[in-house]
Amino acid sequence: MSLKRAISAAAIFSIIVPTGLFVSAAGSTAATSQVTFLSEDVPAGLDYDGPSAAIPASQVGMVNLMEPLVYYKKSGKSPSGVNLLKFGYNPADFQGRLAESVTKNGLVWTFKLRKNVVGCKGEKFTADDVIYTFARAKSVSGAAPIGYFLSAVGGIKDFATFDGKVPLGDEVKKIDDYTVQITQEKENKLFLPALTIFGMGMFDKEGMEAQKTAKDPWSHDYANTVNVPSFGPYCLSKWTKGSEFVLTANPKYYGGKPAVSKIVLRKVPQSANRLAAIRTGAAQLTERLTPKEFASLKAVKGVSVGSVVGNESLFLNMNYKVAPWDNIKVRQAVAYAINYDKLIKNAYYGQAKKWKSLVPSTYPGYSVPKTQYTYDPAKAKALLAASGYKDDGSLKLTYVAEKESTLGPVVTQIKADLKAIGLDVQLDPLPQTQFGDRQLTKRDLPFAVNDQEKPIGVDAGYATYLFFITGGLNNMDNYSNKVVDDTYKAIATEADTTKRNAGLATIQEELAKDVAWVPVVEFATQWAYSSKLTGITWHPDNCVRFFDLKI
Amino acid sequence: MRRYVLRRLAVGVLQALGITIAVFFVIRALPADPVSRIVGMNPTEDSIRQARHALGLDMSLFQQLLTFLGFHGNGVFTGSLGTSWVSGSTVLSEIAITLPTTIQLIITSFIVALLVAIPIGMATARRPGGKLDKGVFGYGLFAGAQPEFWWGLIFIFVFYFKMGIAPAPLGMLDPMLTAPDAVTNFVLIDSLIAGDFTAFKSALGHLVLPVLTLSFLLVGPLLKMTQQSMSRVLSSEFILYQQASGLEKKSIGRSTLRSALAPIITLTGILFGFMLSGAVLVESVFSLNGLGQYAVAAVLNLDFPAVQGVILVISVISLFVYLGLDLLLAKIDPRILVK
Repeated sequence: MSLKRAISAAAIFSIIVPTGLFVSAAGSTAATSQVTFLSEDVPAGLDYDGPSAAIPASQVGMVNLMEPLVYYKKSGKSPSGVNLLKFGYNPADFQGRLAESVTKNGLVWTFKLRKNVVGCKGEKFTADDVIYTFARAKSVSGAAPIGYFLSAVGGIKDFATFDGKVPLGDEVKKIDDYTVQITQEKENKLFLPALTIFGMGMFDKEGMEAQKTAKDPWSHDYANTVNVPSFGPYCLSKWTKGSEFVLTANPKYYGGKPAVSKIVLRKVPQSANRLAAIRTGAAQLTERLTPKEFASLKAVKGVSVGSVVGNESLFLNMNYKVAPWDNIKVRQAVAYAINYDKLIKNAYYGQAKKWKSLVPSTYPGYSVPKTQYTYDPAKAKALLAASGYKDDGSLKLTYVAEKESTLGPVVTQIKADLKAIGLDVQLDPLPQTQFGDRQLTKRDLPFAVNDQEKPIGVDAGYATYLFFITGGLNNMDNYSNKVVDDTYKAIATEADTTKRNAGLATIQEELAKDVAWVPVVEFATQWAYSSKLTGITWHPDNCVRFFDLKI
Repeated sequence: MRRYVLRRLAVGVLQALGITIAVFFVIRALPADPVSRIVGMNPTEDSIRQARHALGLDMSLFQQLLTFLGFHGNGVFTGSLGTSWVSGSTVLSEIAITLPTTIQLIITSFIVALLVAIPIGMATARRPGGKLDKGVFGYGLFAGAQPEFWWGLIFIFVFYFKMGIAPAPLGMLDPMLTAPDAVTNFVLIDSLIAGDFTAFKSALGHLVLPVLTLSFLLVGPLLKMTQQSMSRVLSSEFILYQQASGLEKKSIGRSTLRSALAPIITLTGILFGFMLSGAVLVESVFSLNGLGQYAVAAVLNLDFPAVQGVILVISVISLFVYLGLDLLLAKIDPRILVK
């Protein structure tokens, strides 16, 4: 071959061949009743007691394949048309799912189970499945025993020893094939809310036991890697980890066959690509774009953006065991230094509001403390001077590096706001795992921006229990206040909602006075979707339930 | 030849083992505890202890190493790379899914890059200072100055978003299509095995932009190497002698190319090893779920078994690639074996 011919061949190969393929590949076959949902990831596992339970994408898989005993009722819509739920503690606040009805007598809850509930492979739901689910939780056999933890949060009797050697007793008792009784240790308002959480979905006993091995009697490996037999509205038809998760409607679902017959969940890590695919109609639903990207879609024909200020928030945490953050005047100075309105406008494009307390404003028990911090740089400077702290440029503001596209504008403005009052902080992005390790295990992050805490128990008391009581599970700031501890102790078993809420208001006032955190904003949880798609509903875990959708 | 290959393989196995053991210790020196990711945001001390036990992190480092190598059950010596701490799947099964995507991408990109770089490199070597040479110089400056993910995003913007002739950057297949049954995990091959030509066409189409992006970058160094190597050989005495003897241009071209190939092959091998994990940005931009993406996620999640597994697999592949290249070089220039 002569050189000229070789060059020509190369040119033809590099220009014509790709173009030809482009044309052939650009078209796609349309299928009815299919929704392509793009997200940052697909489920890494489906066992809620497994190693991937904390990953939001895994929770999406669990909540669409599994079914709870009870769940919250729908109630109203957000201004953008997203369906909302009504939260509460009493049986009347909940709708029966696998349980048709719930009654309470003292500390004993009786669940009448729904008959004729059929799973994906035709298996029937009975009381044995409920007993299996709680026995599995109590075995504490998974890498991250969420089922056990939630049973304890709900106050179920005898869920206090953690060695897995105590088998399930009569705290969860089968009365007959369609009746189960669960007994609480003591009065605890979180019992029914805990049952709605993804880690309390009911397993299909037969399906799970068919996969058990001598080494793995509770079939954790199967649920982590293959499927999770349950009674949900969708059945798993294909799962390529790290790439694709395909669900098909369970035609025998007791709530009626889902309106969308097939869901294709695709991993598309780049938010810009998810945005482009929604704009061009290649996908029908996406989530976790940046606020700027969501804002850019609002004028796009054929695309809707649903948003709801649910339970996502951004705050600054300052460690009480690390100077100068142990000095209340420094903490107050920071709270007065932030230009909240500018942050809402520039970093969130208006899709956020000033956070006025330290629990989500949608949760029962939320109250607005009298002590509030608004943008007042002069006051912030005075407080900083009064604190006696001399800035030497060594302070760092830590945040999760993987969230740079969302948090970058936030931390940049906070840095500028703090510099204006004389605090020159350095930005310190850390990988998520390292951030989590220092926040949860070591608890030694001095000063950080955090936007990933959402208490899964929908209750202000639960938020207090997690973050603010001395030694709380996620008390990342080592905060300690005797009034908070004593008040929480008094209300933890309080049955009277009015008295309980009064206690919670006292706690929220104390937290505000102490600047336990600087509450910055509650930002909107958002989705972008085809205008033909309806039914998007906000759930406290921020996972889309595909059964809600219609197209 | 056989002794040469066996000697190389023996040294390679020791190298791979050494690298894996080094990685085993280095990753454990990172200033973070993988348990915090697993237990979620609200862990009790009991659940942290439980998770640590489940991952085997409550054993001594030496015990963990022995377990990893296979002295206590399945391990490297028995063909197991362990179980991912993120997904609970075996690392080998996850690599078996992600590696073919990367290999497919890299091999196709190299084919395109070599098909472009070698003829053009030869032509510019024969006519230095010509228009084509100047064009190549400009391309070298232009392409080399931008990172590959940037070119990927530009191509997506132009060909998909603006012109609408490329498929959406959503992986290897159109979202509306069902993937063929996995036999080899090479989507192109699996779709042919299944006789699913729609999937084959879709996979080929979805490869075009990533391949264009990678080859756009690969052509630069390969072209430069071809040009320099050809120039050197063209001015050598034996080529001048061939020209003086009046041999046909075609024949001289063949001799020149054969003599100039060695450094190009070496560079190809080096670039191939680098691309196994270095293609991560392109994989990420096009949502391809390749080995590079898997490796990065493993490091970020402190998924120790996955990190160890990926590095071991990359080491072994690199070993075979370099061995293959050496054998090819020996075929071209048998003096290598004598040396």
